[in-house]
Amino acid sequence: MRFLAEILLSGLAIGAIYGIIAIGFAVIYKTTGLVNFAQGEIAMIVAYIAWTISTTLSGNVFVVTGGALVAAVLLGLVIERVVMRPMLGEPVFSTVMVTIALAVILRSSINFIWDAYPQALNLGVGRDIVRVGAVGMRTGQIAVIVMLLALLAGFWLFFRYSRYGIAMRAVAGDDRTALLMGISTGRVHAVAWAASAAISGIAGIFFAITYDVSPAMYEIGLKSFPATILGGLDAVIGSGFGGLLIGVAENLAGGYLGSGTKEIAGFAMIIVILMVRPFGLFGQRDIERV
Amino acid sequence: MGRPAGTRRLVTAIGPALAPAAEPRAALMAPPSEPVLEFRNMRVVYDNAIEAVRDVSLAVPERGVVALLGSNGAGKSTLLKAMSGLLYTEEGVLENGSVLFRGEEVHRLSPDELVRRGIVQVPEGRRVFVALTVDENLQMGGFAKPQAAARRKLDQVFSLFPRLAERRGQIAGYMSGGEQQMLAIGRALMSEPVVLALDEPSLGLAPLVIDRIYEVIARLRDEFALTVLLVEQNAHRALGIADYGYILENGRIVLDGPAADLMGSEDVREFYLGVSKEGAKSLRDVKHYKRRKRWLS
Repeated sequence: MRFLAEILLSGLAIGAIYGIIAIGFAVIYKTTGLVNFAQGEIAMIVAYIAWTISTTLSGNVFVVTGGALVAAVLLGLVIERVVMRPMLGEPVFSTVMVTIALAVILRSSINFIWDAYPQALNLGVGRDIVRVGAVGMRTGQIAVIVMLLALLAGFWLFFRYSRYGIAMRAVAGDDRTALLMGISTGRVHAVAWAASAAISGIAGIFFAITYDVSPAMYEIGLKSFPATILGGLDAVIGSGFGGLLIGVAENLAGGYLGSGTKEIAGFAMIIVILMVRPFGLFGQRDIERV
Repeated sequence: MGRPAGTRRLVTAIGPALAPAAEPRAALMAPPSEPVLEFRNMRVVYDNAIEAVRDVSLAVPERGVVALLGSNGAGKSTLLKAMSGLLYTEEGVLENGSVLFRGEEVHRLSPDELVRRGIVQVPEGRRVFVALTVDENLQMGGFAKPQAAARRKLDQVFSLFPRLAERRGQIAGYMSGGEQQMLAIGRALMSEPVVLALDEPSLGLAPLVIDRIYEVIARLRDEFALTVLLVEQNAHRALGIADYGYILENGRIVLDGPAADLMGSEDVREFYLGVSKEGAKSLRDVKHYKRRKRWLS
């Protein structure tokens, strides 16, 4: 029983990280209709930037996260302006290929700029153990779950009530008509990329605090992708919960079926679920009037 | 209601059936009193190859309703895209000519800047945001305006379309075609347009619903003091409300004049209104007509 509880809780904690990155996927998909395969790489770069700030400037948790998030926003804006904007109007397939190329480039840049060894991001927080019932958890793991829930609530409100949030949905639905309404689609896309990069950065920093920064960190992006497929690519809230599901499923498989199955559990799960619900658990069907 | 002195033009435009026009068309296009919106000698080319519109000039006077008629593919929507700065989204380029708004060239402005200045269109096929609610659709219409102004405008739109007020929370994609058309018009009004262009507002709607839409257009002119550019295939409806009309064929304006004159013109009656003294025309006559028109323009 205690084993199960441990598996569930740590599954939720890693699942929350997947969920946060999955939100990043969904925000971009919802606004631009694209899947950004560089999401995990962005998380990794931001974590490395946080680590660099912590080792050179200051180890203060606020300075480090604040600085890294500003860098994440800038990174998102630069990617949108330099790489994605010229692809506007090109076929979706080509554009998604561009994000894959971007992913590979960002992944390799780690080795140029930093080095290939794992590093600990020590901000003096998040590594203490607290007891939840009979199970020990790191405070960072609890914080990331809380963070996921906060982001979910925030985004739900944003897309529902804020002008920019509604504009993002409008641009996703019909960008040309949005232009006719005086909505600058370029600006809306830029906001989506910046927000998505910042969200991924948050996940990256949490991952680095709880575990390490390493050049293999981009793999959390690969794990988060099934989360967003599972929840529905256009469903921000669904993607977040999809992350939790994938995290728990992975840990259950790893704990009970053997560690080899851990890597494939998430993908096995999306095969089954997409057969039943091709739009994902919370995804929206296209509206057709009957 | 500055009606352009177009009777003479109409006569010279139809006259050539008997005698060739003495003056070239461009010379006839001297604008009447300062129009709000003006197209001057516009030529639009898509993909560097396809000429969609050639040498089109058109003027919309303040608070007037001008009808732009023509069949499918005549270039009507191309003109509206040029007006709203959207040609680039379809690899189109305004190679020649200009769009003037209150005497100022505006064809190089961005789409959002054009909306902010008051040049707004209701696109063909309504194009409401199907996944958004009625309220959210309207809010998007007022996106370029400060929020307080948008809220004031919302009351006005709801008074014009009480039906939209009843269905505020409804997802727009599930509404009927007529309701969507009203939503599309309401959404455009949210941005406080000076010139409102409507692209085939009667398309695909039942006759009774079309009646309602045209009542609204009349109210937009009378109560909202809007200047309306009405793009239609439905010539009878459009000329019934317009002051002045232009007929576009194969990317050129082949005929223009006061709406009443166009209504009375033999050519228009036969080929756009489907009314003929001798009953149905044979294909041979149509060919003859086309040949004549080509020579004319």
